[in-house]
Amino acid sequence: MDIDQVKSQFPIFRQKTPTGKDLIYLDNAATSQKPQSVIDAITNYYSKEYSTVGRGAYWPANVNTVKINQVRSKVKNFLNAQSEKEIVFTAGATDGINKIARSFLAPKLKSGDVIMISQVEHHANLIPWQELCKAYGTELLVIPVLESGHLDYEWIKQNLSERVKLLALSACSNVLGIKNDIKRITTMAEVTQTPVLVDAAQVLSHNRVDVQEWNCDFLVFSAHKMFGPTGVGVVYGKQSLFNEMKPFNYGGGIVKEVTFEASNYQDIPHKHEAGTPNIAGVLGLGAAIEFIKQLSQNETDTHLEELTNYALSSLKAINGLKIMGGEQDKAPVISFTIDGIHPHDISTFLNEEGICVRAGHHCAQPLLQRFEVPASVRVSFAIYNTKSDIDKLVMALLKTQAFFS
Amino acid sequence: MNERLKSLYQTVILQKSREDKYVGKLNDFSLEFRAYNPMCGDQFDLQILIEDNSFKCLKYSGSGCSISRASAAVLCEHLQGVELDTVRQKVELFLELVDADSDKQPEELTDDENLLAFAAAREFPERKTCADLSWKELLNQLDTLNQS
Ligand SMILES: Cc1ncc(COP(=O)(O)O)c(C=O)c1O
Repeated sequence: MDIDQVKSQFPIFRQKTPTGKDLIYLDNAATSQKPQSVIDAITNYYSKEYSTVGRGAYWPANVNTVKINQVRSKVKNFLNAQSEKEIVFTAGATDGINKIARSFLAPKLKSGDVIMISQVEHHANLIPWQELCKAYGTELLVIPVLESGHLDYEWIKQNLSERVKLLALSACSNVLGIKNDIKRITTMAEVTQTPVLVDAAQVLSHNRVDVQEWNCDFLVFSAHKMFGPTGVGVVYGKQSLFNEMKPFNYGGGIVKEVTFEASNYQDIPHKHEAGTPNIAGVLGLGAAIEFIKQLSQNETDTHLEELTNYALSSLKAINGLKIMGGEQDKAPVISFTIDGIHPHDISTFLNEEGICVRAGHHCAQPLLQRFEVPASVRVSFAIYNTKSDIDKLVMALLKTQAFFS
Repeated sequence: MNERLKSLYQTVILQKSREDKYVGKLNDFSLEFRAYNPMCGDQFDLQILIEDNSFKCLKYSGSGCSISRASAAVLCEHLQGVELDTVRQKVELFLELVDADSDKQPEELTDDENLLAFAAAREFPERKTCADLSWKELLNQLDTLNQS
């Protein structure tokens, strides 16, 4: 794959940083940069075809209604869902998880029930469940993570029971970059008939997901981590569950008949999409999926795997640098610490070189406590990163180290 | 290393961040509080012994970047022996020193080299919270002390 050509589609890389450097963007696990096609889809909508959707029988509302439906269809194919009815647009992964918590799980919960999550979860897939537990007297069971960054699958087997009303799990840790074996987990959960929610926020920019193969009940993601805009995402849900559960929100756009006494709701997915949607966001998500589809999956895999391996071996050569977790099932996300230098100081030094990395606890405080580090540096790669970016990172780290020693 | 970084990571800051003179716990103290920055995880516990109407003894413990550690150390050093009446004034002066929106030049505010070193935070807005973490929390504590 011609990475220069791919990178040239991202306008942000054409300028220099305020310190006069080329931008080396290594915070893709937080959010990825945007290709021109995504930016164009959004500006085209606002400047040439702006209108609402669903409700107007005029141009351009009819055009946008068709386009939104096309994006729903693209998402369905992208996830290999069975039907467009299983695709609901949200404001992002966090929004999706909260909605499932409120509309699917909360109405069923009673004291003595259990919600199971894992030790690697982002706060987005922890706090909504913690709050439910507080409100309903439910117990939160946490799957331990091993030193390698893998979940303790034996533990899951032993602790799954009919009492577990939901297993909510990320497909990949945003700190350790270790991918979880979702298929293995859904197979175990089938035995106890426990629904499984997959937080796929970290995987869609670099992995194809097949919800039918995974056999998960729900899956959430955010567009902005896969080259799309912020403020938009998707909940995938099996039709039977989407049908049976309460609407995510109440309001306009989801109803059939309304009187002051009662209302009845539209069929899925519209039942779950009250209010005027984030139209520009959804159109941008459509363009982002197109962008990913035009890249060869094999070549993307190879490029990111090579980069990750190259980064791992270059980083390990630095004295006093410790990588969190192992290297098996590794996504292009690496967290590390360097003896004697605080991550925040490292990040300031790298910033002067135009290098963006994340320093801190990455919205996963309990995971950092588990690994007994107060904060770490995280680097994460996307399709536009190169080995030269990693060389510059390593040089800058060595310079930082020399300064602090 | 460029000049900007040099100004932020002056020798004073590096030395103070490594110095352990004020690190630890007091057996006997009048005021104890935690300064925590949830955005980055920096966390310090500060203890102050107040005697004869002044800050008699100060210690800090916890973890953070070199700037937040140096800042906690300089807080302890700078306020040791200071009379209660003047503590607030000193804290406010420090907070103005690191505030890029202040219309005073750092040198107009103080000639104390140890304090002036932190004025470079004005150039690094993302590091201001490191420089003023412990000081801001101390100011909150003084407010509560006054109310009670
Ligand atoms: C694993 C994981 N889950 C959930 C989220 C939350 O995504 P968002 O902030 O887009 O809602 C993130 C993003 O930081 C993440 O990495």
